Amino acid sequence: MTSRSTPASASAVAPSASPPRPARGNLPRRLARLTLHTDFEEERFFLILAVFIGIFSGLAVVCFRLAIDWSRVALLGLYPHPSPLRLLAAPALVGLLVAVLVIHVFPAVRGSGINQTKAALYIFNGYIPFRSAIGKFLCCALAIGSGQSLGPEDPSLQIGAALASGLGRRLELSREKLRLLAPVGAAAGLAAAFNAPISAVLFVIEEVIGRWSAGILGSVVLSAVSSVVVMRWFLGADAIFRIPVTALVRPAELLAYAALGIVGAFAAIIFAKAICYFRPRLRALPRWTQYLQPAIAGLLIGIIGWLGFPQVMGAGYSSMDQAMHNQFTWQVLAALAGLKILATTLSFVSGTPGGMFAPTLFVGAMLGGSVGLIEQHFFPHLTGTTGTYCLVGMGVLFAAFLRAPMTSVFMVLEVSGNYQIIVPVIIANTVAYVVARSLQPTPIFDVLTRQDGLVLPSLEEQREEEILRVEDAMMPPPALILDAASSLAEAHARIQSLSDTSFLVHMAPSGWNLLRRDDLDRMLKEGKSELTLRSVLPLQQLPILYPDLPLDTAVRPANQFAIIPVVNRANLRHLEGVITRENVLASYNAEPPTTPNLDPSPSTTQ
Amino acid sequence: MNIASRTMALPPKTPIVRRTPVVLAGLTAIAVVAFILVSRLVTRYRANERQVAWHVFEEGQKYYRSGDPTRALDDFRTALVYDPDNTRYQLDLARALRDSGQPGSLDEAASYLSALWQTKPDDGVVNLALARLAVRRDSIPDALRYYHNAIYGAWNSDPDANRRSARFELIHFLMQQKAFAQAESELISISQSLPPDPALHLQVAGLYSAIADYDRAISAYDQVLKLDPHNAAALAGAGNAAFQMGRYRTAQEYLTRAVEADPNDSQSQHSLETAQLVLSADPFRRRITDAERDRRLLAAFETAGKRLQSCAVSSHVDLKPPASPASPLQTLQSRWDALHPRLKNLRSSLDTDLPDTIMDLVAQIERETTQQCGPPAGLDLALLLVSRDRDTVDQ
Repeated sequence: MTSRSTPASASAVAPSASPPRPARGNLPRRLARLTLHTDFEEERFFLILAVFIGIFSGLAVVCFRLAIDWSRVALLGLYPHPSPLRLLAAPALVGLLVAVLVIHVFPAVRGSGINQTKAALYIFNGYIPFRSAIGKFLCCALAIGSGQSLGPEDPSLQIGAALASGLGRRLELSREKLRLLAPVGAAAGLAAAFNAPISAVLFVIEEVIGRWSAGILGSVVLSAVSSVVVMRWFLGADAIFRIPVTALVRPAELLAYAALGIVGAFAAIIFAKAICYFRPRLRALPRWTQYLQPAIAGLLIGIIGWLGFPQVMGAGYSSMDQAMHNQFTWQVLAALAGLKILATTLSFVSGTPGGMFAPTLFVGAMLGGSVGLIEQHFFPHLTGTTGTYCLVGMGVLFAAFLRAPMTSVFMVLEVSGNYQIIVPVIIANTVAYVVARSLQPTPIFDVLTRQDGLVLPSLEEQREEEILRVEDAMMPPPALILDAASSLAEAHARIQSLSDTSFLVHMAPSGWNLLRRDDLDRMLKEGKSELTLRSVLPLQQLPILYPDLPLDTAVRPANQFAIIPVVNRANLRHLEGVITRENVLASYNAEPPTTPNLDPSPSTTQ
Repeated sequence: MNIASRTMALPPKTPIVRRTPVVLAGLTAIAVVAFILVSRLVTRYRANERQVAWHVFEEGQKYYRSGDPTRALDDFRTALVYDPDNTRYQLDLARALRDSGQPGSLDEAASYLSALWQTKPDDGVVNLALARLAVRRDSIPDALRYYHNAIYGAWNSDPDANRRSARFELIHFLMQQKAFAQAESELISISQSLPPDPALHLQVAGLYSAIADYDRAISAYDQVLKLDPHNAAALAGAGNAAFQMGRYRTAQEYLTRAVEADPNDSQSQHSLETAQLVLSADPFRRRITDAERDRRLLAAFETAGKRLQSCAVSSHVDLKPPASPASPLQTLQSRWDALHPRLKNLRSSLDTDLPDTIMDLVAQIERETTQQCGPPAGLDLALLLVSRDRDTVDQ
């Protein structure tokens, strides 16, 4: 950390030094102290900045929510069941307008926004154009308000990230900090949109950052919490849904939730496959068709609404609320789940900007309610309410489709505020996640980035990677281990029959050292045969390794020393084996390449 | 300039910490201004939404008042979309859901009311609505809990009347559930705090009668009569309560006054006649002479014999030839025939059990014929009541 900002810090502090000059010999130490102080200041400033990012993102999301509500009333009317004219005309005409805006004014706002934020973190040094925040705000508010089957959460994530990025650039933060600002803003935007700070933090770690990083966790949490506080200040602390009564009376009922997990996994696979199949094909069509694609998608969604299912239009939170409170039969719930998959696929693959969170939750809620009602029909003794199944279904789709298993559990807990539901959620989500992963190994967001010609790190793939460890490369202990109390003559006598060039020496009371044959010969020639090995070997002992350490940790010491002892963690005197540079290289060479399997679909760029 | 080139142009290191105070002050100022602007925007937007919600809610109320809760539901729901925290809308939606009879509507109503209850656990209106919901679900513990919450809860207007009304509702519910002991305890509570209103006392007295607590019913009717001495309903109620308790003299007094107060009250007239018959037919009444007692015993015996024969005719049972096994009517006829010669011993001091034997047989005949030929009338009814009262005294 110190070395990163030394030049800038030094240049910043030196000219303003007015106190008496210290002695020339103390200058390096003083500079180091100033540098440390400056780094601490920057860290603290970054944390405070995270709070401001949270506040600004929260305010932006509040405005975004109002804009969506306003456009919905303006375009579809006051009542939940719009007139046929509005149902057909609004999404189609707004689709046309959004297409023009996306193609000519805001080309970076296509898609959900999660991959763009991730790309900013890993490819563009945290750079997200501020224009994309404006574009995302306008286009998504219009699209979602007109009834396109998309949600506001992922766009909120990108808006938050873009605000953070713009603020960081404006403040001329270091490149390192600027890169970290995107996920900080993303967490703030998502937390405010979903009124769920823990889920937002987990999602950003699982999906955007792609790895657990303690360095950024504090800032992400601060920004998420402050944005949620702002959002609740203006829009209230109520949950998105009225939470139904949930209870698990008998453990045997968990089987019913496991069945829901399997059904949800298959629905998620159909959903993901449809998007992955159609998206590149539609993008490969002539450019002029891209003006019409959102309009056609909007018209088709309007027809679905006109045919009696207006619930699939927009984010659909009020319909999820109704489903949780038994207002639909299982047939209607199943139809809504299927039609929502269709409508969201149409909206998303047509290039209309908007998020996947809300549609995923919608499909999950409807599917959960439907499966719950069917199960209750055949097994009337089941005590789970339809609302419980809807909530668990949401988690199931989240885990299976978005492949964010931890987020899915916490999201349901935060949304329901009910700890009793945790066991059904964990069971169902785990089943769904495992089944979906076995049927489609690559998560949807990774497929989408690869379709766009980008390769971004994925936490799921990291989880799948097999880590090489020291024990995989080490050799058995050598036959001869010299004792530090032996004389050089004794050592020479013992190694005479061997051809090795280096020998391990066990130091007392602990530690290991290395004796080279040519060094021993040289010392014997110098007449030091009576001296002990302890007296002639260097004070600095060999580094030691443990069998369970990742092999990466052995690379540097193996490059410096001919042989490294591998010892038992419980008894440092017990030698488990040794490792050499050749062993390390041989292990890496034997390991198959872990390059991700790129999707064969036609490559396009956002 | 594309993204890549712009990111390359970023400064690698910056001395941001030098101007931290200025930056923080600037950010704070921007945040405050943005906060104010968004606050004004939200306030205006919310005001507009509330206006829309009220308009839609009024439409819904029209439907609800006209007895169409199902059509009101859409409007109430829409109103809540625009003003989700409005407790009045939530309450009316819950009521409409409760009354709509749609599948799952009770669950949804419960969720709305539960959410309201979380915020206002002592609100009388919310608790009463929850209690009514529990009644729909036949849940006695929940109904008791919420009714009691409503009875002891806070009411914005006329708290006494609302609490009393809630308790009456609870009593009716308990009576429907046959929880008479609980209903009685609620009645005792309410009767102690009633204002001097004859209608309320009359209502309480009627409820006491309905749960067969005739003693308290008569006290309550007396309370009404103190406030309104010529209240025909109270007189009739008290007379009937006394009648049910077998206090025919008291019943006769009340019922006579009731018939005088309301000559069209045929029920009281009928009860009065029966009471008079009982008083004139009961051989065990106090302060009658031995001759009168014997006369009543003979009359009862003859009346029971005639009732037996008419019942046998209507049931097509031949009482003459004894069958094997004999039917109940034939057995009773045999016993009646066997007892008949002993009637001349009524005056004899050697046959002291004879009056009881006669009245036992009369009681058995009246009960059996009631079972086989339907309820009796006139003197037969009086004899049945006399025998019932004797059984009660014996027990």
